[in-house]
This record gives sequence, C-alpha cells and structure tokens, in this order.
Amino acid sequence: MPERMLQFVHLPQQMPEKRNVLRRRTDFDEIYRQFEPDEAARQASRCSQCGVPFCLIHCPLHNNIPDWLKLTAEGRLEDAYEISSATNNFPEICGRICPQDRLCEGNCVLEKGHGAVTIGAVERFITDTAFERGWVKPIRPHRELALSVGIVGAGPAGLAAAEELRRQGYAVDVYDRYDRVGGLLIYGIPNFKLEKEVVLRRWRLLEESGVRFHLNTTLGKDISLETLRQRHAAVLIATGVYKPRELGGPGVGLEGIVPALDYLIASNRKGLGDPVPAFESGLLNAAGKQVVVIGGGDTAMDCVRTAVRQGATSVKCLYRRDRANMPGSMREVKNAEEEGVEFIWLAAPEAFFGEGSVRAVRAVRMRLGMPDASGRQSVHPEEGGHFMVPADLVIKALGFDPEPLPVLWNEPQLEVTRHGMVKINHRTFMTSLPGVFAAGDIVRGASLVVWAIRDGRDAAAQIHSYIQQSAQLAEAAD
Amino acid sequence: MREESASEFVSNWRRNAQALAETYNPAQEHDACGVGMIVALDGKPRRDVVQAGIDALKAVWHRGAVDADGKTGDGAGIHIEIPQDFFAEVVERGGDKLRSGPIGVGMVFLPKTDLSAQERCRQIVETEILAFGYAIYGWRQVPINVDCIGEKANATRPEIEQIMIWNARGTDEATFERDLYVIRRRIEKQALVAGIPELYLCSLSARSIIYKGMFLAEHLTEFYPDLLDPRFVSRFAIYHQRYSTNTFPTWRLAQPFRMLAHNGEINTLTGNINWMKSHETRLSSPLLDPYLEDIKPVVQTGGSDTAILDNVFELLVRAGRDAPMAKALMIPASIGQDATMPKAHRDMFLYCNAVMEPWDGPAAIVATDGRWVIAGLDRNGLRPMRYTITRHQMLIVGSETGMVKLDEQDIVEKGRVGPGQTIGVDLAKPQFYRDSELKDLLASRYDYGNWIKRVQVIDHIVKTDAQEPVRYEGEALRRRQAALGITLEDLELILHPMVEDANEPVGSMGDDTPVAVLSERYRGLHHYFRQAFSQVTNPPIDSLRETRVMSLKTRLGNLGNILDEDASQCDLLQLESPVLSTAEFDAMRAYMGNSACVVDCTFPVEEGEGGLRAALMRIQREAEEGVRAGCTHVILTDEEMSAERVAIPMILATGAVHTHLVRQSLRTFTSLNVRSAECLDVHYFAVLIGVGATTVNAYLTQEAIADRHRRGLFGQITLKEAVQRYKKAVDKGLLKIMSKMGIAVISSYRGGYNFEVIGLSRALVAEFFPGMPSRISGIGLSGIAKKVLALHRDAWQQDVIRLPVGGFYKLRRHGGEAHGFDAQLIHLLQTAVATDSYSMYRRYADAVRRGPPISLRDLLDFRTEGRQPISIDEVESITEIRKRLVAPGISLGALSPEAHETLSIAMNRIGARSDSGEGGEDPARYQPRPNGDNASSAIKQIASGRFGVTAEYLNNCREIEIKIAQGAKPGEGGQLPGIKVSEMIARLRYAQPGITLISPPPHHDIYSIEDLAQLIYDLKQINPTATVCVKLVARSGIGTIAAGVAKAKADVILISGHSGGTGASPQSSIKYAGLPWEMGLSEAHQVLMLNRLRHRVRLRTDGGIKTGRDVVIAAMLGAEEFGIGTASLIAMGCIMVRQCHSNTCPVGVCTQDEKLRAKFTGTPEKVINLFSFIAEDVRSILASLGVRSLAEVIGRTDLLHQVSRGSEMLDDLDLNPLLVQADPGPYARYCTIEGRNEVPETLDAQMIADAAAFFERGEKMQLQYSIRNTHRAIGTKVSSKIVRRFGMKGLEPGQLTVRLRGSAGQSLGAFAVQGLKLEVIGDANDYVGKGLSGATIVVRLPPSSHLRSQENTIIGNTVLYGATSGYLFAAGQAGERFAVRNSGAIAVVEGCGCNGCEYMTGGTVVILGPVGDNFGAGFTGGMAFVYDPENLFEKRVNPATLLWQRIASPYWERVLRELIERHVAETNSRYAAMLLHDFPLVLPHFWQVVPKEFVRYLPQPLTAPELAAELA
Repeated sequence: MPERMLQFVHLPQQMPEKRNVLRRRTDFDEIYRQFEPDEAARQASRCSQCGVPFCLIHCPLHNNIPDWLKLTAEGRLEDAYEISSATNNFPEICGRICPQDRLCEGNCVLEKGHGAVTIGAVERFITDTAFERGWVKPIRPHRELALSVGIVGAGPAGLAAAEELRRQGYAVDVYDRYDRVGGLLIYGIPNFKLEKEVVLRRWRLLEESGVRFHLNTTLGKDISLETLRQRHAAVLIATGVYKPRELGGPGVGLEGIVPALDYLIASNRKGLGDPVPAFESGLLNAAGKQVVVIGGGDTAMDCVRTAVRQGATSVKCLYRRDRANMPGSMREVKNAEEEGVEFIWLAAPEAFFGEGSVRAVRAVRMRLGMPDASGRQSVHPEEGGHFMVPADLVIKALGFDPEPLPVLWNEPQLEVTRHGMVKINHRTFMTSLPGVFAAGDIVRGASLVVWAIRDGRDAAAQIHSYIQQSAQLAEAAD
Repeated sequence: MREESASEFVSNWRRNAQALAETYNPAQEHDACGVGMIVALDGKPRRDVVQAGIDALKAVWHRGAVDADGKTGDGAGIHIEIPQDFFAEVVERGGDKLRSGPIGVGMVFLPKTDLSAQERCRQIVETEILAFGYAIYGWRQVPINVDCIGEKANATRPEIEQIMIWNARGTDEATFERDLYVIRRRIEKQALVAGIPELYLCSLSARSIIYKGMFLAEHLTEFYPDLLDPRFVSRFAIYHQRYSTNTFPTWRLAQPFRMLAHNGEINTLTGNINWMKSHETRLSSPLLDPYLEDIKPVVQTGGSDTAILDNVFELLVRAGRDAPMAKALMIPASIGQDATMPKAHRDMFLYCNAVMEPWDGPAAIVATDGRWVIAGLDRNGLRPMRYTITRHQMLIVGSETGMVKLDEQDIVEKGRVGPGQTIGVDLAKPQFYRDSELKDLLASRYDYGNWIKRVQVIDHIVKTDAQEPVRYEGEALRRRQAALGITLEDLELILHPMVEDANEPVGSMGDDTPVAVLSERYRGLHHYFRQAFSQVTNPPIDSLRETRVMSLKTRLGNLGNILDEDASQCDLLQLESPVLSTAEFDAMRAYMGNSACVVDCTFPVEEGEGGLRAALMRIQREAEEGVRAGCTHVILTDEEMSAERVAIPMILATGAVHTHLVRQSLRTFTSLNVRSAECLDVHYFAVLIGVGATTVNAYLTQEAIADRHRRGLFGQITLKEAVQRYKKAVDKGLLKIMSKMGIAVISSYRGGYNFEVIGLSRALVAEFFPGMPSRISGIGLSGIAKKVLALHRDAWQQDVIRLPVGGFYKLRRHGGEAHGFDAQLIHLLQTAVATDSYSMYRRYADAVRRGPPISLRDLLDFRTEGRQPISIDEVESITEIRKRLVAPGISLGALSPEAHETLSIAMNRIGARSDSGEGGEDPARYQPRPNGDNASSAIKQIASGRFGVTAEYLNNCREIEIKIAQGAKPGEGGQLPGIKVSEMIARLRYAQPGITLISPPPHHDIYSIEDLAQLIYDLKQINPTATVCVKLVARSGIGTIAAGVAKAKADVILISGHSGGTGASPQSSIKYAGLPWEMGLSEAHQVLMLNRLRHRVRLRTDGGIKTGRDVVIAAMLGAEEFGIGTASLIAMGCIMVRQCHSNTCPVGVCTQDEKLRAKFTGTPEKVINLFSFIAEDVRSILASLGVRSLAEVIGRTDLLHQVSRGSEMLDDLDLNPLLVQADPGPYARYCTIEGRNEVPETLDAQMIADAAAFFERGEKMQLQYSIRNTHRAIGTKVSSKIVRRFGMKGLEPGQLTVRLRGSAGQSLGAFAVQGLKLEVIGDANDYVGKGLSGATIVVRLPPSSHLRSQENTIIGNTVLYGATSGYLFAAGQAGERFAVRNSGAIAVVEGCGCNGCEYMTGGTVVILGPVGDNFGAGFTGGMAFVYDPENLFEKRVNPATLLWQRIASPYWERVLRELIERHVAETNSRYAAMLLHDFPLVLPHFWQVVPKEFVRYLPQPLTAPELAAELA
C-alpha cells in the first residue's frame, strides 16, 4: 500500500495562512484562513499514527485525533467528521480556540524537531466543511423520553451537556441570564479568534434539535433553583465563573481601571451590533488610549489584541512571571507581539496614579525563585526595581472567581468549597442537593473551553445514569 | 554435590511428573535421530547385511544424545529378519519338537520388578496366541549384558524375553503375519485392561524381529550378544539412533517400530490423530473385517509421533497395501513441487490426496512390510538421506554418507533421496527401484487417471460471473458489526489493507495489551486461541518462497473408507481454497441442493445466558440429525441474528458441531461449512478451520468491503475484485499460519486444533475443543454468554450506532484496550533516566503496578507472611544484579546505529551484555574507543538469515545466541525491503544497497533437535570460549524442547514471551502467536528440573519486563537472567510510535534515515540509569523478603501467590500450574556450571597440534588425515585460531592445506577462513562450508573410483549456508538447498537438488548438471551458471525474482570458463574436463541466472553491447 501517512519526513509543517498583520490589526475577523482541502489533507498526512498517541492522551476530550487525521488525509471528510464529532460537541470551536500548543500539538511527537501536525486547524477544517456540506444535522432522538433536564448556563459545559442529553431523548431546558446562547463563547472570546457566526450556528442547531432556551433568566431572581428541581428530573449547574479577581494597591479605584470581562463583553456586543453605552462613552473603548493589561492568561491576551484593534495608541501587558512561565498560549503571545503588543515580563503593578482617571501604573520588577513542590517557580519583588508605565486604560485580567451561588440563589444547602466552587462528588457530578449536578468552571474554576465540554459530557452521562436508576427504583417501588 | 542414584532418579522423576501434570505432557516429547537401512540386493539373507547395520549404528552416535552418565542413550535398535535356524536350535535345545513352517518370534518387554505382573503378562500373551489357534514353543530369556548401559537405563529396563510360536493353523505366511498383528493388538488391549501398560511387544512376527533399547548405538551388540551370532543373517537391516528431548529412559520408544523407523517429526500429528479417529468408523477391509474391533483404536495412546505413524502405516499394510503404496498415501510427494512429474504419477498422488490427509512434517523414513524395504522423504525433503550401492549387491541407506566403511573401488553408485522421493527393494524378486521406477510401478497398478476424474472440482461452479450480493447497508450493517465487537480499527487497519494490497497488514513492536482473559473489554473468542508454531524440533516452512509444496485444496463431502482401493474414493467435491466469497458460497450452496442442511447458530435474547448452552445443544442435534438423514454438507450460519436473536461466536458453534460429529462417528460423512459474521482477520479463519470447518464465508466482512467499495474507498476496482483481493490475503495468511508450524497441506491442518488456549475454562475446552491445552482455565460458557449479550444489547438498543474506534493495536482512550506502556509511564521513565532520579523511577514502577492487569504476573504477588525483612545493605550490590540483565537482540537495521551502539556501550560499561541482533556488526566496533568505551555487543546473534555472520563476528563476543524464534512472530522469517537496505546495512550484511534481503523461517541447518546440537557444536568450535544461547518462544511443550536443547549442550536457554517486539511483522502474528513468558518459563524450568538438566543450563527470559518486580517474579518462576528490551528503547527516547517498519521513527531510535537519526537523544548514561534503577528495585524487594541475593529466589515459586482470580465473569483463573515445583533432588534450581558445557574435540585438536609451525611462525604447511563421518566441523576450530591470530585476510589462500581421505562428517569447513584449504578425497555430508568465511574447500573422488562424478552425490544438503566468502569445488552433485543464503562464496558443483541457490544474495555458483525444483527462490543477489543440456531448467526455476538467459558476452563466457578450469584443476573431474574440451558445443546449453534487482550491480552488462547490437 502506498503509505499515505507519515509524510512529516518530506512535508514541513504549514499552519493555515495568517492574515497580514497590518490588515488584521484593523478588523475583528479571524486571523487564520481556513485550509484549502488539499492543504488540509497534506498537513493531516504528516501524522505519524503513533502507537501511543500523545496528542490524544493530552487532549481533555481524548479526541481520536490520529483517526480523523488519517481520514482527512485520505479525503474521507465525512468519516472524519463522524469520528471527530463523536467525542467532541464543538470541534470547530476547539479547533479555533484551544491552546493546542499546550495540549495536542504541544505533545505531538513531531513537535520536537519536525513541527507538530496542525491538529487544531484540521479539526476546524473538518467541521466547517461538515457544516458547509450539510453533514451536520439536528438531533432527532430515536425515541422521546417523558423526562426533562434543566441546565443553568448556556456556556460550553451547559451546551455540551444539553446536546448529549437531547441525544438520549430527554427534553432539555437551558436557562441563561444573558440574551444570547454561548456564554463566554459568545461574549468572552473576541471575534478574531472565534467568529460569532460559529457560535450562532451551534445555537440554531441546538434549537432545531429541540433544546429549549430560556434566556434573560437569572436564577435566584427570575426563577428559583427549587422550581427547576421540581420541573426537571435533574438540574445541571453550569454557570461558569464571572467574578473578576481584584487588584490591590493605592489608586485601584481610579476610573479607567476595568475588569477584563466587562471590556471584552462590551467589545463583543459591539461586534454583534448591540448598543453598548459604556463603549460609546469611551469607558470600555481603547481607541486612542495607552492601554495596560495586567495578567498573563488567555483572557489577558484577548484583551491586548482587542485593544490593538480598537485603535489603542499603545498596548502593554504586565505579567509577574516570565514568558516561559505564563499560563496563556505561547501562540497567542506571538500573535499579539506581531500585532504590536509590548510584553513587560516579571513586572507587577504596585500603584495607580491619576486624578479621577488613571494615567499611569507603577510597577515593580520581579524575580523568579526556586520551583516549589508543584514545579511552579515562586516570584519575589526586586529591591528598588520600580518603574512607571503610562496608562489611560488599565484592564485587569487576573482571573475569575465564582459568584456566591448559595447566596445569590438563596440555596444555603448547596455546598461550596472554600473558594466558592460548587462541591460535587467527582464520580457522579452530583452536588449536595440530590438531583442537582454541576459541571464546568463553576466546579473546577476558570479553565479551558475544552475542559468545560469534557465536564458537560461526563456530567450528562452521569445525569443519564442517575435518571435511569431513579426510574428503575421508582418502577421497583411500584 | 551428591549425585542422585538411578533408582532415586526414577522415583523422583515419576513423582515430579505427577506434580507437573498440568505443565508437562509426555505427549509433547520430541525425538529425531539418525536412521538407515542395509539391503541385500541379491535377495539372499546375509551376515554382512546385519554386520553393516551394526557398524552403521556405531557411526551415528553424534546424532543421538547421551545422558550425563555417559552410558544411557536415548535409544537405538535394529530390525532384521528372524534367523530361523538360530531359533530352531533354541526350540530344540528347549526340548521341544520343531514343527514345520517358520517360527514366529515375539520380542517382549515385561515389567521387571513386579514378578506377579510379569507372570500375568506371560499369561496374556499366551492366552491370546492360543485363543487364535496358534501354538507356543516357549519363552526364551534374551541374553543381555547390563554392564554397558547406564544406571538410569538399567533402572528403567524391562525384563526382555522372546516368545516362540508355532503356526499350528498351518496358514500361509501372509495370513500368519496378519494374525500375529491381530494377536498383538489383542495382547496390547488386554495389558491395558489388566493395568500393566509396561507389557510391550517390540515385534511379533514370523518374518522379522526388532532388538532395541536405551543403550548407546555402539553398544548394541554388547547389550544383545545374540546379534553377534553368525547365524543372524538377514536380507535387510533397519537401524535407528534416537535423540529425545527428555532424559527419562523409555525403552518402548526406542526405534525401529514394527514397520518403520523415522527421523523427523510429524507436524500434523494432532490433526492426523483426530481424522484417524473419524476414519475408524468407516474402516473396512476383507482381510481385517473380522478383527476390526480388536484393531481399533488404530492409534494407540502413549506413543511418540513415530509410533503413531507406525500404527497407521501398519494398518494400511495389514489391509493389503504394500509399503511403497502406504508411504505414498501417508507421505505423498507434492504435486505442485515437481514441474516435470509425469502425468501418471500426478494422477496417482491426486488419488492419494483424495483418500487421506497427508502426514506432514520433516520425515525420513525407512520401512518394511516383509517383502518390500523402502526409504523415503516427505514433500519438503527436510531430512538427509544418502545411499550407496556396492559391487557386492548391497544397498546402504542412511542419514549420512560414510556410516559403513567401504572401499571406493567397490562403490557403483552414490545417490540421495530427494523431497517426496522413495527408493525401495522388492526382496522377493529381488529388484532395486529408484524413485521414478518405483512410482512407475505404483502408478501402473490402477487407472488412477480415470478414478480421479470423479473428483468434482467445483471451483468453476462457484466462480460464477454473478455479482457479489449486498444485503446490509448503513445501520443494518453497523448494528451487526457492533453486535460482534467489530471496531473501526479492524476495518481501517486490518480489513482495508487486506483489500488494498491483497496482503495482511504489517505492524511493529510487541503486543502490550492484556491477555484476552484479563481484558475488561469484549474480546472475540479467537483472541483466546494462540497459533502453534515450530521451533527446534521441526522447521517452519517458507509459504512465500516454497509455494510448490503448499496447498489449500479442500475436499468436501463424504470421506470414504481409507482401506479401499477403488474409484469411489474419489467421489468428492474439491475447492482450491476453503475461503469463499458470498457469491461463491451461494453458488456452492445451490450446487449442493438437498445434500446440505442449514443450522442456525443464533439464540433468542430473552433466553439470556442459559440460551447459549441450549442453542449449542440444539445446533449439535440439528447437525447430527441432518447427517443421519443423509446430508453430506452441513452449513452453520449466524445470519439470523437480529434485535431478538444473538449470534453465537462461530468458533464455539463450529467446535461444538465438529466434536459432536466426531464423537458420534459421523464427521467423515459430511463437510462443515461456516458462514460467520465475526470472522474478519486471517486468524479467525485459521481458528475456524483448525477447529473443524471445511469452508468459511465471512459474509459480514464482505458486506463491510461492499460498504467501503460503495463509498469509493478502493478506487476504480470492482467489488468482485475487492472481494477477491481480500480472499487472496486470507489465503496467503492461512498458508503462513500453517507453514509456521511446518504444515503444508490444509487438509492436515483442518480439525488439528493446532492452537493453545489461554483463558478459556478447562471444562469448555474439554467439551468443545478436546485435546487443546488450556493450562490456566478461564472464561466459560456463561461468561461468554454474558459478554455476547451485553454487546448485543449495546448494538441493538442504542439510538445512533457508531462503531467503537478500537484501541487493540494502537492506544485509544474511548473504550480502547489497556496498553502496558502508556503515555504517562513513558514520560515518567524518560524523566527518571534523564534526571537520574530513583524517586521518579519509583513513581513509574508504582504506576506500572497500579495499572490494569495485562500479564499473568499482574495476578501474582510476593508471599511476605512469615518473612523477616532485612536491611537493604545486606542485599547483593547493584553491580552484581545488573550482570544478570541483558539488552536483548534488536538488529542493527531495526535500530539506528546510534541507538545500537549506545546500548552496547552502556551494557559493556556495567559489565552486562547486549545482544547484536541479526544483521552483523561493523568490525570497527571490535576495537575499543579512545575513551575506553567498547561498542562491541557481548552477545552475537546468529539467525536464520545468517546476515553478517563471519568467523570474525563469531570470535568477537562472549556469547553466541541462536535465534530460533522471535516473540512477535515465532515460526516466521522476515524480509528487509530493498528501500531499507542502506549502504551501511548492505556492507554489514554482505549485500548490495537497495536489494531485498530475506530471512527464511527456519534455520536451514536446524530441521530437528540433532541439527541444533550440530550447530551448537559448530559454534563451540568456531569460538572455543563463548557460551551458546538458544532463543525460544514460549509455547506449551517448551519444557521438552528446552530439555532437548540442554542436551544439545546449550549453555543458556532464552524463553521469550509473546509480547516481544519486532521491527516489522504481520499484525496477526504479533497478536496471536506465542505464550506469555510466565507460562513458558515456568514450564521450561520445571521440566528441566524433572529431567535433572536445570543445573547445567542457565535460563533467561524476556518480553515486556519493566520493573524490578517483573525481574523478581521471573526469577521465582525460574529465570536467572533477564532481558529488558522495550524499556531500554524507551530510556533511549522511544515513544512507541510503532512505525518501526516505516523507517520514519521521529526520535531516531529505529530508523536508518540520516535526518531522523540526527534526532536521537539517547545516551549510555540513560540506559545505565534504567538498569541501575531496576537493580535497585530488585534489591529492595529482596530486602523486604529477607533474601540476600537473587540466586536465592530462583525457582522459589513458593514465595509467590495468586492475588487475583481475574474478573467475576470467569469460571476460574488458576495460575497454580505455574507455581507447582518439581523437587530438584540434590541439584540446584539454577545453573551451577562455571564456564560452558564443553563439546568433544574433533580432528581439529590434532590439526592444531600438528600445525604448530604454522600457528607460531605462519609457515606454510600441509597436513594429511583419514577421516570418517564422525569427524564433524573439520577446520572450524583451526579457523578460530587463524582469525584470532592472523585476522580474516591475514594469510594467503591455502597457507595451511589439509588433505583428508574418507567421508567427512557434517559441517565440513564451517566458518573456515582465508588461509585454510580443505581437500577431501571421498565425500562429505550436510552443511559443507556453512558460514564459509574465506577458505577453499575441495571435495573430489579418489583416482581409484569407478563413479562418474556428475551422476553421483558427493556433498550433502544445505551446503554453503550463509557463506560470505571463499571457494568450494565439488566433483559431483550437491544435495538440497545448495548455496542457500550464500552471500559471497564462489562454487562449482556438478548438479544439485531442490531449492538450489535459495535466498542467495551474493557470490557466484556454477552448476554443471541438472538442478532440482524451485531453483533460486528468493534469490536476490549474486549469479548462477547452470548447464542444462536437457532443457529442464525453465520448468524448475522459481521465476519470481530472476532473469535468465544464454551467455551473451565474452566477459561472462570467460568468467564461466575460468571457473570450470579452476574446478578441473582442483578436482580432476573428468566430466568437467570433457565439458571444457567441447566448450563451444556446450556453451549454448548454459544459462546465466541473475536476480532482476541485481543486474544493475554487475561489472559488465549481461549481453555484450556488440552482441546486443547484432541481436537488435
């Protein structure tokens, strides 16, 4: 058989073309073009088809990456889509926004010395093609069950669970306080990484599949958890974490120091054509400003690159560790740098200066200490290493904490951890309230979309078996 | 150490054998030997015939084995005619009156010590004789001399007596003889009834008598002085020297048997026995009909394969066939083999094939029916048989030439018996028949040509133009597939390549998934069956290159009475292959019409688990009723499966019906045709056929092919073509699986249960697959039902049905199978060795321990109760323990040079050993590096390809490992495709870059155990200091093989597990052959102890050893050395990409690609860290057990216990058979030999002493000796001394010339080097110039000889095997496989047997006479010139790789002419001189033969340009 795979020996790695940096900094379109079919096939054919596929192991969803790469290389895209969609509800989204360099591609055996297979780009290509060709069909369950499940939160975890449960034949009701479906997918992640149409078509598909969305519905205000518990055979909490971590230091209350999520949501809403007063007022618009973003995660990366596109005069990112130790994706750093963002490594804000509105940040130089038991290096301020960074807009991207659900929802019985995460039995995904489950960031803390999908799927499987068992028990009781 | 007394040995042996009942099966004993016969061609009984037989036995001692006592042999004996006047005197001296007619004599073994039993035996014998109406003269105590036999032999010796019988009924001789046969059978049965199995009749006849016993062959007449009596005259003498794999002297198993003596092994034995049982129902012969119930069972229990062969041979003879016909029926020539076979012969063999299944396997037999004496070979011709005819009308036949000393002038003919040939003497006439004359005689007896027309070849009926039907699509197909556990991986990785390439897919590295019974996933029933394979005692076959002997021809229908001799036996249907496409099956079904009955093999879901058993009973009943109603074909099918009905695993259904029909004596009345949905890979087909299916149709797999075809995945080909390619892949795979255990014919494989079961319950196996070993029990019917039902539920109740992705071949997380090395373990281990962190290693080792059970050892743990831990400081050092660790053989070619050298350097640094693997090693590595590193592998491997094996290579090591088999593909050879043969590989392997290199499945100098002994002998000569290791793969019966190997003087036996790795191998071989080493090792260890051989040999094991715990468990199961392969690769950077076969290893471990090699990051330090960590791990375990050294726990299975019995679903999983202990008596449980097991000196000791001037001062010398066939490996030890003293090229050719007169023993000039010249005046046996490394060998006739050199055989089989350089000139014909795997030697002979120049890769061979069949199979380099005046060459050549043409260039004409001139000069061949004289006339009859791939390397074009122009 002519060997179709293992072509890495001859073929170099080739990411899908990135749009010219001068052009892309001026709009919010995705920066990667889609693969041409033969290009996708060629790149997929570089896969080594490993006996122990590290890509798959390090994928939170354990996607069968080598299999759909092979099928793509053979031009069997419909088969590839089937395999890819079997383990992932939103492959085209993961293909766009996963930090592949830390997951599948970063662990690809070819990464060292050959250049990893462009897994993410192929993944995206497969499902985009499937949408184009009409292979993606709404769910038509074999049989409709008389039971329903309520899901709180229309983010990736909630949607993945909704799809899985719908597939089993449950009626699924999804409640969300926002006016659109998608959670952070729609409002958190900027367009240049994930065009909104991608999320919207998933929304449409779920509605066509019979999932009922109850938007603009805030739990604890518009409806109580108790009501949901009565209405549904099971309830899944998948609200995510939205409370920004706060900065300390003098001057932190100055105007122009804003939380990342507010900033990103404003920008995304703007992109969707919504009226956004805080943007119009300039409060959440970086145009013409010197912007400083504080933090080193993916949210910080989204902020700096949004600021560039909004027309900031300068964009700087302050992070207290160095490039090698940042949590965000290295690929995103590179993109941001190309787009003109300046990274100030080993620097932490100490104080904010300005009158009424912020004008500058005073930062201190940091140094890295010895790694601790977990392998992470501690940080210490350098003596006398102060410097000033001018800033008209400071965006705090330091991470997120859970909102106090028991309080907000008036459900003191719902147990949470010290940090406010909802406590679950990690095998069953059930919270302290019988029949109430939780998944995603609200359980594990702010994390990746791919982990949210994984949790959503796992929780759905547990909810299914819980309902089945309850039904059997009920039957037995009769 | 106190030695064990003989009686202690006997009683201990019996007790141990009892204890090992689950492990050791005496039926697995093997034997092989030297065999032969002497015949008076004048038909007169002669004393010199008997004397020559006695003499010949004295000259084959080296083909037998001797116990440590030096006196107990494995058995020897002689079969001669009864000297009537001798016995007449005995009768008269006894006071009896001599009556007319010949005296019948029975040679009887009676129980020795139990006198009452002895008396009872005499009674039985007498009763049966008298009851038949014959009378008795009396008993005679046979005089014996026990002084010459060993204590053990004496301790087991029977009382030996003769009973003399008077033909009181006055019947004619033939009737008397036949009656004596019936009487003997009755006696044997009565002995069993009386519970005295010791009673044994060596012979009971009025014609001939057998004297045999457990003495050394040379002590025959000393033990039996009768034979010295000059009245012992005979027209024939059949003699035999046995080499057995065990040490327990069993007198009755000495040969000859009643009719035949045999050298070799019957590979198809289990199938033959099973079919014989079935044939018994229909046995009928006017001569025997009144006594058939006495005769049955034909096959008697407790016999060796030869004894059983003899049983059936005897039956055929007694029913009226003569010996030549009985041989033709049982061991027929291959019809495909001989392209020049006359039609009459072909018709006769077609008839033979219609009557019964061939008894297949290496066989040289000599036999007599009283009137005829014959000698013949099996179709493969794997045993040597040479003959000589003298002026005095004596025919001498034997395994070797020169066994009887003769004057050259007296010899009128010297020949050999070739594959499938038989020679014979009709004593009554008297007349000698050469092979073709004998076949003419047989073929002329009946009109076989007409008879065989009745065989209905239905291939043309089933091969219609009909489209392949398609029945299931989409969901319907998927649900069925899902219900049978078919995965995407099966379809993509296995099925797709089978259709695309018409070949099985290839994979690499070892199988690290759980043994099926330990898996948590569904595993099809075929996963529990492990393919049987040959090693040591019999050779596998090369199914690719030796197609002419292989056959898938399948007979269907009603099998007749094998004792008949008429046309009705040919009333059969016949197919070319048992594999049928759906359209073919439909056509066959239609043809069968009412003669077939269909049995549904599904059961209703609602019946649950119990439904399976009920259904099996129903299926058996329906099949039986069908057959009783007259159906000659039964069709089993699972097509009825649906949401409501569950498919029964068809292996189970087939086994159930086959055994049931056998038990009901109905099996031969019907064919058993199976339609199976689950059947997809080659292995499944093999299992179905192996458990009794006649034909197989994998209909659902065909639907899967159709589905893929519909989707355009096979390009432009038609569906029919796609299906045919799949079928072709299956056919090839079946041939490969059969050939793995040396079976050439599928009718002998069918129903042969040539598998070993791991993990099926004993009860289930006994019920449905009786006779198949299943040592540890496991899942039973209810467990299988549970699994099948669960799978069915998932498949039919889920809404959307997706096939699982798989994970059996490559790791997958979603529902995939567990794998021994997963990503986390690889990462932990690599981090540990890179950072020298033992704590990281601990995390690795703990993670290994916590993982799901994969190997049997995962169910074991150490027994710590009552043990007092000690401080780790008291345990022997890391350095000591590391010495026991070995980096096992991975060839350079698989590994990159960097990785290969890193391993050697690391192992040498820690005083341990690495193994070179096959493929040679760069001589530059023999010199230490500037920093002191030594990159030379301490162990040099010698494998079947003999690539790079030179005298120098063999002298640069501390151990030589003979790789008999490899865990990933036991019983198979290998092929290194041309694209992978780089410049460097080609140089080391003595080949040209880019040319395909083939390793044959067997070592062509090891077809049986005594051959292995010979190779070990040769190796111990060429390296007088190295130990020799024999690498085997675990299987049941390995214990007896190991015992045989130990007796062959191996120093180390390596037991490899099935999980061993490979650079490339068919997936079904990686997955389904071989056993876990835990089973093989414990068996070998126990059986070696049983035989008191354990303390004389070291045991090593390898296969998936990952941690110190594995090492300690292996030690407790009996190993003292441990190979760590995959883990050491991982330490060097391997990440189990499993693409070794693709040359694309991304980390540079397993590739020859320069760019990729640059990525290699391994270092000796990392490897050393791994071995040190494992040693440290071992120390801590030893400390926790309170033990100070590893030696103390070897064989201590009492320190182990089973901690898990597997899943709840199992009937039982019982590892006790692994944990039983034989009592070692006064001996250690480990090897106590210092140094090595020495072998006797040969002539070289004398030569070295005589050549002092040569060795000391390099003076040119000439030596001269007389030799016999017992002088083996002449010139080999001298060569070792030369290479060590002067190097490979340090001497002028012929600086030391040795002239030898007589018959040279085997391995003349093996590995001999430049500077040595051996001139034999006489002849030589097998393996001349084996591994020739530069020397010149000349074999010629003495001037006084009257023979015409070109018509006579002068050298034996397998000459120049693996030769790398040097010259051979032999004035006469060579035997089979001349110049096999030659890669550089230049030779001239005057004719050769079959398979000449096989696998040759270099050198030049001139053959001045006819060649045998299959010439040049796998010949990829070098050149041959063949003189072919009769124009037969083109019929005999295997054209696959070759070009041939007449000589068309003055350059090549000159090359040829010069070689012939040199031949004449060296040998004085009158024939060759005559050819030279007429050169212009003979030149047009020469062929020049060159491999296609090799043409571009020729120094001159084949056709001279001017000639080419002329031709154009």
